[in-house]
Parts: sequence; C-alpha cells; structure tokens
Amino acid sequence: MALLEVRGLKLYYKTVRGPIKAVDDVDFSVEKGETLGLVGESGCGKSSVAISIIRLLPRNVEVYEGRIFFDGIDLMQLSEEDFRRKIRWKRISMVFQGAMNSLNPVLKVGFQVAEPLVVHQNMDKEEAVRRAKELFKLVGLPPDFVERYPHELSGGMKQRVVIAMALALNPEMVILDEPTSALDVSIQAQIMNLLKSLKRELGLSMIFITHDIALASDICDKIGVMYAGQIVELSSIENVLLSPKHPYTQKLIASVPLLRGDRVPEFIPGAPPDLVDPPPGCRFHPRCPHSDGMRCVKDVPPMVGVEGDHFVRCWLYSGGLK
Amino acid sequence: MGLGRKLAFKAISLVIVLVAVLFLTVIIIGATGISDKILNGMVQEALRAMRQELAREIKDPEALNRALEKIREDLIKSYGLDRPWYARMPDMIWRIVTLDLGVSRSVTSFSGSNKISDIILERFPNTIFLMVTVLMINFVVSLFVGVRAATRPGSFLDRSISLYSSISYALPTWWLGMLMILVFAFYLRLFPYGGMYSTPPPTDPLMRGLDLAWHLCLPVLTLVIATSGSWIYITRSIVITTAQEDFVTVARAKGLPERLVLWRYVIRAAAPPILTNLMLGLAAYLGGAILTEAVFSWPGMGLLYFEAIMSVDEALILALTYIYTLIYVIIRFVLEVLYIIVDPRVRYT
Amino acid sequence: MSSPREFFSEFWASKTSKAGMLFLIIVVSFSLYTVATFPLDYGTRYWNNPKYWADNPKLAMPQWTNFFLGNSFLEHKIISMSAPQKMYPSGAYYVKSYEASFDLNADQFPTFLTLKLESVSFFSSKAPAIVLLVTRPDNRTIELSRITVEPPLFTEEPPYVRYVDEPRRVLVSGDPRLSITLSDFLLNAYNLSLEPGQVADIGYEKVIFGELCESTFKPLKGRYLFTVLLYARDARDQIGKATIVIGGQVYGFMGTDILGRDLAQGLLFGFPVALLIGFATSVLSTLIGAVLGIVSGYVGGRLDDVIQRICDIMNNMPQLPLLIFLVFIFGNKLWIIVAVLVIFGWPSLAIVVRSMVLQAKSSSFIEAAISLGAPKWWIMVRHIFPQVAPFILAQMIFFTPAAILSEAALSFLGLGDPSIPTWGQILEQGFHSGAVFLGHWWWVLPPGLLIVFSAVTFVLIALGLEPVVNPRLRRWR
Repeated sequence: MALLEVRGLKLYYKTVRGPIKAVDDVDFSVEKGETLGLVGESGCGKSSVAISIIRLLPRNVEVYEGRIFFDGIDLMQLSEEDFRRKIRWKRISMVFQGAMNSLNPVLKVGFQVAEPLVVHQNMDKEEAVRRAKELFKLVGLPPDFVERYPHELSGGMKQRVVIAMALALNPEMVILDEPTSALDVSIQAQIMNLLKSLKRELGLSMIFITHDIALASDICDKIGVMYAGQIVELSSIENVLLSPKHPYTQKLIASVPLLRGDRVPEFIPGAPPDLVDPPPGCRFHPRCPHSDGMRCVKDVPPMVGVEGDHFVRCWLYSGGLK
Repeated sequence: MGLGRKLAFKAISLVIVLVAVLFLTVIIIGATGISDKILNGMVQEALRAMRQELAREIKDPEALNRALEKIREDLIKSYGLDRPWYARMPDMIWRIVTLDLGVSRSVTSFSGSNKISDIILERFPNTIFLMVTVLMINFVVSLFVGVRAATRPGSFLDRSISLYSSISYALPTWWLGMLMILVFAFYLRLFPYGGMYSTPPPTDPLMRGLDLAWHLCLPVLTLVIATSGSWIYITRSIVITTAQEDFVTVARAKGLPERLVLWRYVIRAAAPPILTNLMLGLAAYLGGAILTEAVFSWPGMGLLYFEAIMSVDEALILALTYIYTLIYVIIRFVLEVLYIIVDPRVRYT
Repeated sequence: MSSPREFFSEFWASKTSKAGMLFLIIVVSFSLYTVATFPLDYGTRYWNNPKYWADNPKLAMPQWTNFFLGNSFLEHKIISMSAPQKMYPSGAYYVKSYEASFDLNADQFPTFLTLKLESVSFFSSKAPAIVLLVTRPDNRTIELSRITVEPPLFTEEPPYVRYVDEPRRVLVSGDPRLSITLSDFLLNAYNLSLEPGQVADIGYEKVIFGELCESTFKPLKGRYLFTVLLYARDARDQIGKATIVIGGQVYGFMGTDILGRDLAQGLLFGFPVALLIGFATSVLSTLIGAVLGIVSGYVGGRLDDVIQRICDIMNNMPQLPLLIFLVFIFGNKLWIIVAVLVIFGWPSLAIVVRSMVLQAKSSSFIEAAISLGAPKWWIMVRHIFPQVAPFILAQMIFFTPAAILSEAALSFLGLGDPSIPTWGQILEQGFHSGAVFLGHWWWVLPPGLLIVFSAVTFVLIALGLEPVVNPRLRRWR
C-alpha cells in the first residue's frame, strides 16, 4: 500500500469573480521512500495541492473535497484538532516557498527548530535544543548556530534551518514547495545535494514541487506534470523525460535549454488559462497543436494508463483520435 | 558589545534633544528680557529672607539697609545681573541642569515653600501616577481589543474600531473631560468634580485609597477614551499585517496550537513596530495628560502649568518646560531600550 | 501616475470621501456666510465689548429648549419703539405715547424689567417727564416708573439732546419706589395688604406679571401692553428709541454666556477662523516640509545631514510644553500661534518626503534626465515633485485637524488670541466661569461639537484620499 494516496482532490477558492478551481480532480500516490515531483507553470495549482495535504487552508475556501489516505487513514475525516496533534509536522511536514520569510525574526533559529519537540512531544527545552543541534549537524550547519537569529544567516543557511525544522519530529513525509527558487545557483546545488543525502539516509518520502523540470529530474523518482489544476501526465522520471506523452509535457521538455548541442529551445504559445473560467473540455486545447477541434474542446479527457504505469490525460491516448 | 554602543548612541541623541531645548529656552528668555525678570525675582526673594534674619541681629535700620545693600550687590554679581544675558548663559544652564530652578512668584508648595523644585517635587508623583495608570489600561485594552479586531477583519468589532479611532483622533481631550464632568458629576452625581482627594481627605488608609480611586475614575476614563483610539487602531493594523506573514503560516504548519501561534508569532513579532508607533504618539499623550490635569484640577504638574500661565509666572513656566522635556526624553529612552530588547534585528550595527 | 480623472473617480468611490466632502461644504458655507456678514474686527468691536450685550440675559439657554421642555421657560424679549402711536395734548403738556405689546406664555416670571432710553431730544427749557405704564391681561394698569429727563444746562442750546452716547437704562424692577406703587396695587386688585418692604421681598416681577392664586403668585399669562408716555412741553420733543427689556431664561439660537453674549454669533465666527488656522498651518508646514524634504533627499550631502539632524531633534521634542512656552513668551497673537505650529509641523513631513525622494532618485528615468543634462532644480520640480505630490496633498489634509485641535488646546489653556473669538476660547471662558460645574450645557457642548465636526471633516477626506495615494490600499474591483 502506498504511503500517501490522493483521489479526486478538489480545492476551489472563493473570489469576487467566482470560484478559482485551483485543484480540480487530482489523483496520485507516493510510496514509502519515494520522491514525487509536481511540475508545472506558476499558478497551475501545485502549491494548492501541498496546502491541501497539510490542511493549511486560507479563509476563502469554497470547495475542499476528495480522499487523502495517509498510511490508511483518511485525512479529510479527521477533526482539525486531531489533524494538528497527530499528523501535522509529526508525520507530514512541509518546507515552504521562500525560506527568507519562513522564520520568525524575533526568535532564535534553534528555538524555532526545537519548538515542535517541546509542543508535540513534551520534551523539556534543553533536551529539545540538543536535538536541534543534532539536526543542524544533519543539514550541514554548525551546531552553535542555534543561538543565532534569522537575520544573522544567509539565504542558504536559512533554507537549511527550515529543512532541519521540517525534520524535527522525524516525519515520514516532507513536502517541499520550491525549496530552492529563491537561492542562487551554487547554493541551489548545495541544497539539492543535502536533500538527496537526506533522502538516502533517512528514507524520507517527499513531494517536491517546482517549476523547473530539470531540477525535478535531479531528485525525483516519479513526476506528475500539472496544468491548470489537473495532473496531465504521471509516471517515473525516466518515462516522462525520455518519452513524454502529453503535448504539454513535450513542449515543456523542449523548452529547456541544453548545455551541449545547438537545439533552439521552443516556447509554448498562448498564456496559462484563467482558473475561474477554464477552457471547456481539455484545458490545454487552446495551446495544443494536436487539438482536434471537437472532442478536445467538449469533453475532459480521463486519466488513462499507457504502457503500464505511465498515465496521461489526453484524448490522443484515450481511444478516439487516431 | 554592539548592544551597548547602540544604546549609547540613542542616549546621546536624546541628550542632544534635551540640551537643544535647554539652549533654546534659555536663549529665548534671555533675549526677550524675561530672564532678567526671573533673576531679579530670585534676588528679591533672597533679600527678603536675609532681611528677616539680619533684622534679628542688626537693630539699627541704617546699618541694616547698608548691610542689605551690600548683600544685594553681591547677589547681583553672583546671579550675573550686571552682565548681558548671553554672558549669563552658562550659569543659567548649569543651574537648570542641577535643578536649581529658582523661586515661584505665585505658587507655593503644600508645605509652604516657594522654591520651584520643591513645588514640582510635590506634584510630580501625582502626574506620574495618573499617566502610568492610563498607560497600563491603554496597553491592556489595545492588546486585547486590537488583537481581537485583527483576528476578525471586517467584523462589526473591526469596523467599529475604525470609526472609534477616527472620532477619538478628532476629539479634544480637554473637551471630553468637560463633558465627563457635566454628565457624570453634574447630572448623574456619580463622581467628584475634580481634585485628587475629597476635602477633608479620609484618614483611614483604606478609605483614603478608595477615595483616591473614586477621584481617579473620570480623569483616567477621559484620557483612555481620548488616546486608546489610535493605540487600538495601530495594534490592529500591525497585527493584521504580521498575521499575513509567511512565518505565521509556517508556525501553524508546525502543528502549534492557535493560541501559541497568536502570542509567540503574531503578537511577539508585531511588538517592534507597535512600540515604534507608541514612541511617535508619546508627545501627544504627554500633551493630553497636561490638559486633563487642568480640566480636573488634578494636583500634578499639568495643573501647575495651567496656574503658571494664568499668573504669568515665567520662572515656573521655564522650569516646567524643562522638566517635561526631561520626562519625555527619559520615557523615550526607556522605550528605545525596550525596543532593542524586543527586536533582535537592531542589536547589531 | 494616474490621470486626474482616475484620481477623482478613485477618491469618490468610498463613502468616507463623500461624507467628508459633504461636511466640508457645510463648513465652507458657514465660513463664507460669516465672512460676508460679520465685520473683520468683530472680535474687538463687538464680542469683547460688554456694552453691546448689555440687554441680553446672562447664561440664557437656547430658545429651542422650550420646544423640548414644553414651553416652560420664558423667552427673553427686547422690544423697541421709535415712533409714537398717539399724540395728544393734555393740559400743559403734549403727550406722545409709544406702545409695545408682549405675550407671556411661559410658566416662569421674567427675571428683570428694564427701560432703555436713547436719543431723547427736547426744545423747551423745562425737561420732559417720561412715564412707563403696563396694562395687564386682566386690564389693570400699573405705573411702573416715572423718569425726569435732566434739565438743560445754561451752556446748552436747544434742541437739547440726551442719551445719545450712552443710553439711559432704568432697572424698573430695582426701583424702590415701585414697592409703594405695587403695595397699593395689591390692595386694590386683590385686597391684599402688604408693606412695601414685604413686596420687595416677594419680588416685583411676581407682582407685576402675576396673579394671586391661593396665597402664592402665579404667572399671569396673556398680552401685556407697555406704554411709554412722553410728557413734553414742546410738540417737537421726542424719544429716539425706547426699549423694553424683559428678562427671560432662554434667548437666541444658541443661548448666551455669562456676559450675555449671543453664542450663536461667537460660534459662527469660529468657522472661518478654524478654517484659516487649519489651512494656514497645514499649507505652510507642508510647503516647508516638502521643499526641505525634496531638497534634502535629492541634493544629499552636507545639506541633507543638517536638515536630517534638525528633523530628528525636533521629532524628539514634546510638543505641547514647548508650544506653551513659545506662545507664552512671544505673545498670543494669531499669527504667532500659526508660526509656532508650523515650526513644529514640518519635520515629520520632511522625513517621509525625503525617503520617498531617495527611492525615486534611484529610478532609471531620473538617471536618464541627468544624463540629458537637466539641471538639479529642473529634475526636482518636473520629475521628483509629481511623484510625491499626491502624498503631500494627503498629508496636508491630514494635518489640518491637528492644527485646529492644537489651537483649541492652546486657547483652552488661556494662550489664545483674545481679539478673535474661537471655539477653544469660548470653551475656555466657559470653563473658567464654571459652566461645566453649573450645568450650562449650551455653553459647553456646541463649541466642542463644532471642533470635533470640523476635525472629522478633514479626517474623512484624508481617509478617502488614502487609497488614491497609496495604491496598495486601493479597493480591488
């Protein structure tokens, strides 16, 4: 059984113009020790999937439904208090986008890392801080940094602190939302190496959210490509990179510049769709070179399996077009 | 190490303010000839005291007058009245700094002394008592009401707060005090018209304390209504902004209970800007306290100011201006220290 | 930079702006009316001149309190007569009769009765006599007063005039001779025998205007006819103006203060003064603050340091004590007060403008302008200023109520300009006369309410301007 199974997840936000369908019928699963990447453009709903799982919903939620099974428990059925005490941070934790602002500026970083230990496990403060020092070592920070304040750390260091914080309670799964997008490239590489070694040493299951498919390929075992609130392709990293099936994925890969070779990167024409009023039928059809003008425009293609565990949401593969 | 230096810098800049005010006031009263008047007053006072003493020893009026004349000349020299005012400045400044504030023409202390420092010393605790009471109430009220409004933006409470704040900004403190007296003392007869104790004050300490509390009600209520508006509004706005910060979401993600998130992440992180705004509103608060004392005849320094203006007592006004500036500078410094304690980001240059 | 049209539509969108503009129109209308109808020296000529108010009741409530309290208070009446109704010879005299009527509807007695004579002229060497009669609703007539005009001195030539510079006031209800008249009257009318001294104890007004019910006097309601008779020797003799003043408890639109001044006039005069003080102070301090802020921010260097130091120091000073000190020393003239307020007002604006300018300075189009060779002042005026202008405007509006409130506070402490009645001063006089402790609500409430009203006007406008000026706060459509 997979550690995490998401079925039919929907998250709509309330706005003046109407509900934003940020997550619209998303299915995926993550095995123990596996890293799933969620890749897509800004605004495609990847961060919304993350907050749906850890249940940090803003005030203006209109629809929140589906099934999220974690280790067999249906998370949506848990009360807020149960979720807070049993699941949040203990079993699933998160590294947020923008570590710059993830830390409370008036508290020492060591304390912030130790805090979940004190609150959730009733550890006394010195013990917790000692554990925090261990975690700092784990993420490659000097242990006496626990005495520092966030403004005394560089961007890369802050990111490490945030990762240490996420690992404080030994969770089974960590969700990372663009953990390196605010960092410069060299630091990015360091952090990625850290994450890879943590994955190896701790056997962590991770959901890695990014817009950079190349970055995802560095660490992920499985990749889900998201477009306009839906997953359009889901398979192992090799399958997706080497034989992408969905037109959007193909265009995405083609747009990545190569270090070697002379290939001119392509771009995807058109603009990302409005999530309040998405295009009918297949959401990608206005920008898709293979659109047939009829079924693609009218009906939403279902997610189907091609060659075993390679899933695509496209009429090209669901029997009909060719 | 950095902490000490920062504090030292702050202290120095505040001392500069004090010195600037001192210089300014001394120059102004010198140039307008008022310092001559004040010093002459002091000479007269000293002579009067001397006359009484000497009259006991020297019986011959001629000799008495000659002796007094000699003393007068000495006094004039020592006060520098025989020199132009700018030559006297250093002395004057030194005198004020060492709180040798001279003599009041019109007011005497309750113990009968004419010396301004005695008078001010008597009234000073009453003013501080009033101000501190109001400060504490304001603090508590703005914390609870402001935070509550911030956690329910757009609610009835929130909108009422905005309305209340705009009105209390436009409300003159002293007029509000007059209204209070009219309604609660005159019409409803619930509270006294003013003053600190009833006359005669009760002798039993418990009754005395209750009497004080009863007299304290209206002035405190007036000052709280007049000043809490902006405190509450600022607290609310800053808390709303802080609550939207990422680290607050992260705190919730860490599974911390909502109360803890509110206190340790929202309020604690909002404390520095709230404190800054407090410092900005300090001057207005001080002014309000002066006016309230005048309206309620609260025997503090504000009322003294009022009386000094009525009786055109220059020495007293100069002394009070200086003392008030001193108080202001000290409170500012305390707030600055608090700010450094509360916000670790400013501890190092 | 949004266009003026966008500016206005954004401003108009919120309710606060609409309310603020409405209030502003009210304030400005009252001010214009006052400026048009009052003389500029109203303060010294009328307001501070007790003689002008001598006929008014002291501490009278506004007229409309009667409306709420069921007509129980007597309205103060001042009735003038200038032309005689009748002229007829009577023996050796010509009698000129000046008449006026007065309706008593309230449940209260008048508090006093005065006859004021102005410009009496006569031609014969025998001065005329003047008699005041009142005919009550029950048709009884009482002779209230008999006045002899001063005979001519032998230096005078006819026509002899009296009471031109100073009117002659006869407090009818204070005349001891009246007690005898009234004692007789009571005997005739009610068969009540009282000594003149006892009549004086009861009070003349009760007898003149009352009827006997059981053993007390109740006000006799109805029409009273006052007749002033001029017993002259020459037909050309005349009274210029005779005025009857009947003391009541209510008077005027807003009541009167302890000197009898019509508060409605004083309050009205306060409107343009408040506007003047508010605008003068805010415009001047905004001007100085903006100019110094822009120069300091853009030019930088030594000048910037100096200006910044000054601003820092001034921001760290307690305002009210220093305001008190400066106004006390330099005098409480209006322009001095404004000057002192301006001195304390500009530093806070200068600091904020300076930081805005520093931000704008680093933008690329400024660099472009510099590389084009534009001189410093040109850049400051044409490029920097338009960026900070909306903010400066908003600050100016926001500073106005602070100025109005500061002046009012200074006036309350006794440091206002005594030649110009302001709301703060009216309150100061009220406070010192004990209006608060004696419950003279009409003296205490209206001036304060007007201060609040005018301050709120500008606060509302400033709040309405905020989203226009600060795009982050704009309402999202």
